[in-house]
Amino acid sequence: MEEKTSVWKRLRSSREVSLVLILVIMLIAVECIQYFGGNGHFLSPTNIGQIFRNNALTMLMALGMLCVLLTAGIDISIASTLGFCGMVVGMLQKNHICQNTLLLFLLAAVIGLGCGLLNGLIIAKCHIAPIIVSMGFMYIWRGLAYVVSGNQWASGADVAHFAEFGKDGSAGPYIVLIVAYVAFFIIMKWTRFGRRIYAVGSNSEAASVSGINVDRVLISVYMIMGFLAGLSGALSVSIYASAQPNMQYGKEMDVIAACVIGGVSMNGGRGSVVGTFLGALFYAVLAKALPLVGLDSIWQNLIKGVVVLAVVLLNTLTQRAMDRSNLERREM
Amino acid sequence: MSEETVKTTSAGTASSADEDLILELKGITKIFPGVKALDNVHFQLRRGEIHALMGENGAGKSTFIKVITGVHAAEEGHMYLNGQEVHFKGPKDALEAGIAAVYQHPTIYPTLSVTENIFMGHEFIRHGMIQWSTMNKEAQKLLDRLDADFKPTAEMGALSVAQQQMVEIAKALSTDAKIIILDEPTAALTANESEKLYRIVEQLRDSGVSIIFISHRMEDMYRLASRVTVLRDSKYIGTYDVDKITNADLIKAMVGREIKDMYPKPKVEIGEEAFRIEGISRLGYCKDVSLNVHKGEIVGLTGLVGAGRTETMEAVCGIAKASAGKIFVDGKEVHIKNPTDSMKAGIVLLPEDRTKQGLIMDWGLGDNVTLPIQDEIAKGPFKVKNIQQEREISKHYLEEVDTKALTIYDLGSSLSGGNQQKVVVAKALAQKNMKVLIMDEPTKGVDVGAKAEIYSIMGDLAKQGYAILMISSEMPEILGMSDRIYTMCKGRITGCLDISEATQERLLELSMEHGNEEKEAAQ
Amino acid sequence: MAGKSGRTIDITPRKGKFFRWETGLIFIFIAVIIFGNIVSPSFNVKSVFMNMPKYLAEMFMMFAMGYILIIAEIDISVGSIVCLAATMTCFANNAGLPMAAQVIICLGVGTLCGVLNGEILTHFQELPSMIVTLGTQIIFRGIAEVSMGSGGSISLSDTKGFAALGGSIGIVPIAFILIIIAAVCFIFILSKTTTGRKMYAIGSNHTTALYSGIKVQKIRRNCYILIGAMAGVCAMFMLATSFGANTTTGQGFEMDVISMCVFGGIATTGGKGNLIGASIAGFTIVLLKIVLSLLNISGQTILVIIGILLIVSVMIPSINEQITNKKKKAALAAKA
Repeated sequence: MEEKTSVWKRLRSSREVSLVLILVIMLIAVECIQYFGGNGHFLSPTNIGQIFRNNALTMLMALGMLCVLLTAGIDISIASTLGFCGMVVGMLQKNHICQNTLLLFLLAAVIGLGCGLLNGLIIAKCHIAPIIVSMGFMYIWRGLAYVVSGNQWASGADVAHFAEFGKDGSAGPYIVLIVAYVAFFIIMKWTRFGRRIYAVGSNSEAASVSGINVDRVLISVYMIMGFLAGLSGALSVSIYASAQPNMQYGKEMDVIAACVIGGVSMNGGRGSVVGTFLGALFYAVLAKALPLVGLDSIWQNLIKGVVVLAVVLLNTLTQRAMDRSNLERREM
Repeated sequence: MSEETVKTTSAGTASSADEDLILELKGITKIFPGVKALDNVHFQLRRGEIHALMGENGAGKSTFIKVITGVHAAEEGHMYLNGQEVHFKGPKDALEAGIAAVYQHPTIYPTLSVTENIFMGHEFIRHGMIQWSTMNKEAQKLLDRLDADFKPTAEMGALSVAQQQMVEIAKALSTDAKIIILDEPTAALTANESEKLYRIVEQLRDSGVSIIFISHRMEDMYRLASRVTVLRDSKYIGTYDVDKITNADLIKAMVGREIKDMYPKPKVEIGEEAFRIEGISRLGYCKDVSLNVHKGEIVGLTGLVGAGRTETMEAVCGIAKASAGKIFVDGKEVHIKNPTDSMKAGIVLLPEDRTKQGLIMDWGLGDNVTLPIQDEIAKGPFKVKNIQQEREISKHYLEEVDTKALTIYDLGSSLSGGNQQKVVVAKALAQKNMKVLIMDEPTKGVDVGAKAEIYSIMGDLAKQGYAILMISSEMPEILGMSDRIYTMCKGRITGCLDISEATQERLLELSMEHGNEEKEAAQ
Repeated sequence: MAGKSGRTIDITPRKGKFFRWETGLIFIFIAVIIFGNIVSPSFNVKSVFMNMPKYLAEMFMMFAMGYILIIAEIDISVGSIVCLAATMTCFANNAGLPMAAQVIICLGVGTLCGVLNGEILTHFQELPSMIVTLGTQIIFRGIAEVSMGSGGSISLSDTKGFAALGGSIGIVPIAFILIIIAAVCFIFILSKTTTGRKMYAIGSNHTTALYSGIKVQKIRRNCYILIGAMAGVCAMFMLATSFGANTTTGQGFEMDVISMCVFGGIATTGGKGNLIGASIAGFTIVLLKIVLSLLNISGQTILVIIGILLIVSVMIPSINEQITNKKKKAALAAKA
């Protein structure tokens, strides 16, 4: 009994290890199918680059979602924030108001930060369920994206200079990703601020007793989320060289799903940057690998959904088995 | 510094002026809306002593502790730490002053590691970075000192309550606390674990920490404390040297009244067997529990917290799954899969936690009372609510139990604990086919006056022929109300005494016996 | 029979509060009508009814979503269920099945999806409904996408049956009549029957509900099945106006429906609100959409208005509560 428990425990406590294992197995399998099928390497630099580039937005926003989920909250307005910020950036270029890449990125991030601030303020100060507040803002920002666009798109030629940053082969998106992940890895693990986010999510009552300003932590996680969503908006325009008001519609669910696969609990307090990265990567590799093993890309969503549900259910079953063996061990 | 003089009560031992007091509270009064929770309470803690704080439930112990730890601010009174008057604005101030509390239900971060639980709020930081390896080492040192059997990297939520308490103690030590308050620390522990805790507490005392120890259990006090302060009905009764006061005197100080007045137990002709369970088992909580209750009989079921009493009854009433066992009502076997089955069979459980399990607090009383029976009186195939009849039924039963409420629309949350309990009883009574009433801690958190009323209702119910099973940890009410008493320990029935042969000591012994035997067998 | 103290307890029904959330909603509803009359010359009963069917389909799900929210759950898979049910019905239509069979398939697919949600959630009670329905949301749409193939869309080959469904009796659209009937049934069950009260009990405190002998899991499961079936109905009426489905069909419906409920005063924390408010809120939003479409304003602008309405409508009770709490505290302090 003892041994069994410890195996369960180890499996559970190291979601990262099991994810890495699954990822490696998946990669080897796809690589073999590809290579021996005479289609060259799956793990070619181009492919790897594309995996990250195509999923840069999900990966970037997953970091913010990690913070939000850690506090037992949720933010479904991010795709709209992304759309709004992206549209603003796009229109500024289309109308030749600003062409400076750095300035545009900064502007998008700041607008996103403001969106997040509003979101967080209402959630923390009015004590309203995060899903409702962010749903409201989901409509507002998306609506504003349409208003800003004036029913126009910013496309190819309009954003040509800006798209240099994110075009295929440019290091831009990778640098953003690496910087963000390294920064968050350090913040979440080694700084007091990062640990406070965990504390609030684990037990907000205990946190406020030990002198943590819970409201401030809540507001700042939504600001982080907004900041990253804004940044992703600019990145999206840059990568896809176009800005449309309905861009990345429904992206929030992808981001949440990536976090959930990566072991972030929706009840708060549990999850890590490494897990989030692996979850997002898993999602990304799956998307890239499916067509290569003969499954049309139309199968993507179905398989993604099955994976999300399977991960969640498996997790519950593991937890149950653990609880049961704990009960069995109790002396009577 | 203060012109006030220390009031010494006739019962208390006078304190000499040259005592080395680390903490002193004078004339503390705390008022909650409508209630005086503390009324002119005094307390003195010497450096390096273990001081027990005793009193019945609701005597004001927890409130008093919360005043010391800065959670509540007292309306009147002074508090001196090392001779200096202090005013705590919040728990943080108290912590910084070296006062730490370990609560019965630890306030933990379940998803974080032990190290992090210990150092939350005062992490080791260098260059803005948390020093995990240093912190883990420090945590290990603290845990070693407490002789803990788990690693600092373990997840808090995976530990047992005893282990979590140990972490809380380690946390108190890590803040360099000079005063540690332990609130009912042994309530959820087994005999073995308690003994370990005793040793830790003694070790802390020897290292110069002063300890305030709250407990219901006499043996805790005798084992550890040198002095004891007694509170009763929010008032200060006295401070005594433990080796100079007899057990009887101490109980009298705590209870302070003749028990006869409290428990109006009517003479009831005990009828035939109404309820019997045989061999009820529930994984991890109870094993092979059998007991019976007769018509008109009040049967007590006692044991320490964690003995599995509530969990057994949850299995009986279909709230949790029993892994084995049979249930009989009026001699006929009934099969119970869910609470609905249980109610149909005539077994009604009055749960332990009225606010979370018994009532819907933001509903009116009337709706609460008729919630389980609304289907029976509903009209037509669509089960239309029969509001008129519901109103009358709820009025009838709420009046029968004498609820202090103006209308049936008063909210559950507007009532006191005792009246909430009455509403829960009314809710059970409204179920016409009820035969067996299982009351789980019926007077927990109920003030003294309302307690007596609830006992009198129990007596009336017994007279009407209901079979009553009362789960309780409070010895006086078990001894005062029961006809027969079962004791449980670690998920098993350890004894069944007739009221004529039951004494507090005997019951306590039976509640612990099993554990002690096992301990001996293990050694 | 009075108690020992002879105290009696009053049962005279209390008068309802003068100002309720619904009252406010009615004012907003009237304001929208007045606004419509002022800004658009073509705004009249006929034009409203003519434009209505397009916007009405979602409202069918609103009632069931009200139930789901009242029992303190959430279902974000309904948009995908609409997509799946519509897709399957198109297949049935293209295979030449009779209209009755198509309707059965549409409702059946929806119900089946609801059963799946319900079964998972009752067998895994520890899981939040948000996460399970997030999974099934992706799956249901995924199945629809796979069956539609690479084209990503499918249309009805025989539109007669559905065109009739989208038609009117006189000037009143069939969808509108059915919505009214559905509203009456759903409101009746929620506010007049014991089943409705059980739902409120579960949403207010599911532990107490369980201890009071309510079959909590059975009701939860039934609510999910019901909303699945209503998503099927929604799919039917959506087909009646769009005659086909594609991969984005029903996208965001779940949020639209939830926001109607919340705007109508139903709390996502459960146990509060009613469908009368939600119905008025639903019609207000539909009317607003029609007015804006008559003005040729982009349908997307209304998103901003819906969002603001939603946030303001949840902030008002919260701020109100905070003010009363402060007043209470001040009163207590004054007493002490």
